[in-house]
Amino acid sequence: MEYQTALSFALPIAVSIAAIGSGLGLGKAVGSAMEAMGRQPEAAGKIQTGMIIGAAFIEALTIYALVGLLLLMGKIG
Amino acid sequence: MDVGFVDRTLKTAGILSLLVLTFGSFYYGFYPSLSVFTGIIWGMVNLYFLSLLVRSTLRPDGVDKATALVVLFLKFPLLYAAGFFMITSDFFDPILLLIGFTVVLLVIVLKAFGRVILKLDETDLKNKRENLKSV
Repeated sequence: MEYQTALSFALPIAVSIAAIGSGLGLGKAVGSAMEAMGRQPEAAGKIQTGMIIGAAFIEALTIYALVGLLLLMGKIG
Repeated sequence: MDVGFVDRTLKTAGILSLLVLTFGSFYYGFYPSLSVFTGIIWGMVNLYFLSLLVRSTLRPDGVDKATALVVLFLKFPLLYAAGFFMITSDFFDPILLLIGFTVVLLVIVLKAFGRVILKLDETDLKNKRENLKSV
């Protein structure tokens, strides 16, 4: 198999895995934040801050994968 | 971590972006510094919209639909389209853009470490407990 063919197969799979992983992570984080807020509504501010920071990190990983895809896409054909 | 943590992170990242643009253009040239500066601004805007989205949707009072819709429209299509055009254009170096984007996350990590080392969250809790006792 040629390098470019392998890359054209691997890139969509890699980005899909990144997207699925970040989707699962964000879903779990939001679910836990909602549960925590339901139990302690007075701590909503702190929970939101933790949630924002966690979401920023999760999203950053997906953006790295997207940038990697865009950079490597130029090497296909 | 308190509610203003994200706002303080944004302020610090903004100051850092200006420092990078000033000193980076002196030492490394204007265009590489501009790429890092743009990456930091991109990360800051992303974090700001993310915080607005979380604060308007995940709250005990219910969803603030108007704000959430505006932020959803601004964040996902416009911000990602801007990122796509920045990365694919020849004007910006994608690696330097990513370094700039990472600076915001680095600021968050360092600020959180600072809070842990200085025990700021523990002192907040102690102050609250003392206030409750005095009441």
